[in-house]
Amino acid sequence: MPKFKPLARRTFLRGLVGGTGVALALPPLEAMLTKKASADSLGGPFFGVFFWANGLPWHAQHGGEQAGAGHADVWTPSTTGAGYTPSPLLMPLARHNVSVATGLEPKTQVPRSPGGQSDGHMRGFMVALTGDRPRSMGFDHPSHTLTARRPSIDQYVARHDAFYTEAPRFRSLQVGVSNARFHDYGHWNAISYNGPDSLNLPVMNSSTLYDFLFSERPMDATQTRRTQLLDAVLADARSLRGRLGRRDQQRVDAHLAHLSDIQRRLAADAAVCEPPARPGADSGDLIRKTETMADLLGVAINCGLTRVFSMMLTSPATTHVFNNVGVPDNLHKTCHDGHWDRVRRTQLYQMEAFAAFLDRFETHTDAEGLSLLDRGLIFATSEYGEGWKHSVKELPALFAGNACGALRQGVHARHDDGNFSMAHVTALRALGIPTPSFGFNGGETSDALRGMLT
Amino acid sequence: MSIVPFRPLALRLLLVLSFGALVSCQGTIEDPDMDEREWTRPDLPDEELPEFAPAGLVLPRLTASQYYDTLENLFGDPIPQMDLEADTNPYLFFTIGASTTTVSELGVQQYEESAHAIAEMVFGDAARATELMGCAPASPGDACVTGYLDHVGRRLFRRPMSGEEQMRWHGIANSLAGGDALRGVRYAIAGMLQSPLFLYRAELGEPDPADPSVRRYTGYEMASRLSFLLTNAAPSDELLDAAQRGELDDASGIHEHATRMLESEASRAAVQAFFAQYFDLVRLDRVERDPALHPSYTPTLISAMRTELELLVDDLVFRQDGDMRTLYSTRNTFVNDELASHYGLSAPSANAVTFVPVELPASGPRRGVLTLGAFLTMNAHQTETSPTLRGKFVRERVLCQTVLAPPDNVNLDLSQEMGETPRTLRERLEQHRDNPECSGCHAFLDPPGMFFEIFDGIGLHRTTEGGLPIDASGDLDGVPLADATALGDTLRDDVRVPRCMVKQLYRHANGRLEEEGELRQIVELSDAFAASGYRFQDLLLALATSEGFRTARPDGEAP
Repeated sequence: MPKFKPLARRTFLRGLVGGTGVALALPPLEAMLTKKASADSLGGPFFGVFFWANGLPWHAQHGGEQAGAGHADVWTPSTTGAGYTPSPLLMPLARHNVSVATGLEPKTQVPRSPGGQSDGHMRGFMVALTGDRPRSMGFDHPSHTLTARRPSIDQYVARHDAFYTEAPRFRSLQVGVSNARFHDYGHWNAISYNGPDSLNLPVMNSSTLYDFLFSERPMDATQTRRTQLLDAVLADARSLRGRLGRRDQQRVDAHLAHLSDIQRRLAADAAVCEPPARPGADSGDLIRKTETMADLLGVAINCGLTRVFSMMLTSPATTHVFNNVGVPDNLHKTCHDGHWDRVRRTQLYQMEAFAAFLDRFETHTDAEGLSLLDRGLIFATSEYGEGWKHSVKELPALFAGNACGALRQGVHARHDDGNFSMAHVTALRALGIPTPSFGFNGGETSDALRGMLT
Repeated sequence: MSIVPFRPLALRLLLVLSFGALVSCQGTIEDPDMDEREWTRPDLPDEELPEFAPAGLVLPRLTASQYYDTLENLFGDPIPQMDLEADTNPYLFFTIGASTTTVSELGVQQYEESAHAIAEMVFGDAARATELMGCAPASPGDACVTGYLDHVGRRLFRRPMSGEEQMRWHGIANSLAGGDALRGVRYAIAGMLQSPLFLYRAELGEPDPADPSVRRYTGYEMASRLSFLLTNAAPSDELLDAAQRGELDDASGIHEHATRMLESEASRAAVQAFFAQYFDLVRLDRVERDPALHPSYTPTLISAMRTELELLVDDLVFRQDGDMRTLYSTRNTFVNDELASHYGLSAPSANAVTFVPVELPASGPRRGVLTLGAFLTMNAHQTETSPTLRGKFVRERVLCQTVLAPPDNVNLDLSQEMGETPRTLRERLEQHRDNPECSGCHAFLDPPGMFFEIFDGIGLHRTTEGGLPIDASGDLDGVPLADATALGDTLRDDVRVPRCMVKQLYRHANGRLEEEGELRQIVELSDAFAASGYRFQDLLLALATSEGFRTARPDGEAP
């Protein structure tokens, strides 16, 4: 059974402050309190990362050559602050009152060797997801081998003591939608890192996700035996560990930790959770598949199975062919070929997919009628500003949901040449994780985005 | 024949070399060093290579196919095949992904579920269990049970279980039996299948008595290394027995057993798996083509291209036991009906599932793997070919050259300006040469790719592009060549080609990149390869018996 957690005084006060700040937009205090209590019974806000590939259609703010191409900025809203006017690409998200930060870019150092580290697919991705520069093995080994130096933001949250005082059944879930891959390894294949060379590959199939979440067996003799059996497996693992070098020890330690988590899950009561209908075969349509995955995640979160997820709509440098919007080549090549309008269409479509994801989340309400968007914070980003020249300027950041009242919705924060890790600081503080600063190797900042936190 | 449409004038073309090494022809950056810059890292001359020094240890996790093949060998067919964590192939090879990546929590849970599903299917069936065990267990933990667990333990852990491990797993067969001996076996097996002693190949060596500064893999560890290299699965009882008798402690014993193993069906599959990774054939699975541009494209055509390459490799390595360099120059290939028609060949006895050997016409455009469907299709885009990708493949895969990163802040774009007269891709590419920023990298990459411009994005032969005649001559490192068939003949005689194959095999076999101290070993293996007439089976034997495969550095793991 999910444990009820006492109402956090801090959360309560934050709700009050938020209430006074935008009094007209909020429900009466009494309802607020009820909703707060409900949210806290599930352990506070949840956090999600939504990733889409290949940035934005390029515009003048991306650089001199991009300016020379003469295309309009269809991303940045023309007004800032609360109640901004949505831009064409943000229009699909307007119904969810999404907040957006613009002008952000990586501030991390770029070592000269090995080469290629300034590239957006490497630098932009790692800064957007980890706040650090990549650990590059070089641009040139057959192709672009690199890894993260630290956990991605979803895992940073999922492992933070201030976020989980008691781990739920799953610390986090990782799902993906498009199967297209630029490479079948490294961050080309997944966006969630535990640390160097330790990725959480996304579940790409909704039936697999369904089984993972809901195939719980009732606690019986079989379950007990499976749990006990893991003691012997753990003993074998420990005997191996002692004979290894440091790096391989760490790999086996991770394996040991996973075994302990699984043992804990097996030993726990099956979740009090009404499984939804089992999904059929996944649609080839990205939006349909996104909705299916969103529904499964939504049930999982409302059941208290997890409070962290990452969702990879498309993988970095995606080779997905968006022929549904009339784009004949894969997206990565389409960007490089400079087909601005085609890129505009694909990225609009990816925003529609994000909106569809949020549509589904909005329909998932808990016993108190509180929707997931009232409880969650979904941080959406991409790997660079734009894919024609791989500019990392204007690296996009979106925030959906209000994180139990901690995040102000419908805000456009403009920070010219701003440090991207302000987005991380904002998200982490909204989740109640003490964050004096975030960002590494030149990317450090103690600032949150302007006007986003209540 | 050609299907490339007239391009809108406004269309901007950009050359995509993988993702980043795109070089501008706008000329906005001036770098006086650009002309002098090397685009590949030169190899040290052989005589300057350091003495051989063994490399660090790695701890590979079994790949999914190694896991399932091992268990099928042990438990017979059928066993349930559930999803396991996907293998990854950094540096081309799954073995390298297996020794560098860390398994995720979901991956460990999948191991847990798979272990129970397999144990349930095999040992939940009393008749199957009894037959497999060769005895009927009468009570939990009796001699039948413990004898069988010892047998399974030796196969899964690839060495006899230690006393402590025996106690542990015999104990499980008792404690979780609940009065049912077979249930006890089922749990013990389900546990051993999850054990990291099974899932990870801990080959740690022991100090070499002849030279304590080197760790030498034990007989059991050599059984494991040989078996995964030559059959892509854990060792058989026969090989473990040989290890126990000390027959894998010296090169001649290793040679003898490796020779025997090369006669197995499993070794043909293992060689196939190596070449599929070397040529990165997994990319064929992802090929998508615009049917308007490629009316003859079908998924079955793509899968025929893969089969063609597999048959060609199998024929050369096992049936002919021939000169591997001829991969690039041979007129032999294998086609089904769809591929025959794709190549414009007559193959009356072929049908959809029957591939037949054919000889490519002497006067035709095709000769060797680089002119066959798989290579040409994988290294092209949805709507056009890519001399750059094709050239990059020749540089990196066939010659093992390294294409270095472009300098920071180089402008990465080549565009066809609006209003320009339409030109062939070749003409547009050659525009690069006028700009020093472009010329370095593209003069290195593109020329070997130009030969293949007479083949479209699915490898169909063509003579024009958008109505314009195609010039498919080119040069390799400044030596002019008439066409792709001439390139094939040149590659066959290029010393870099077999050495590259050796290097890739060395990486695959060891599950890591070579260290500097191993470069001399790779040269020596290349010499042995040459001495054998470039026979791949002989190369495998030379590798299996080499110090680079039998020893490790004493102070632990690979960097």
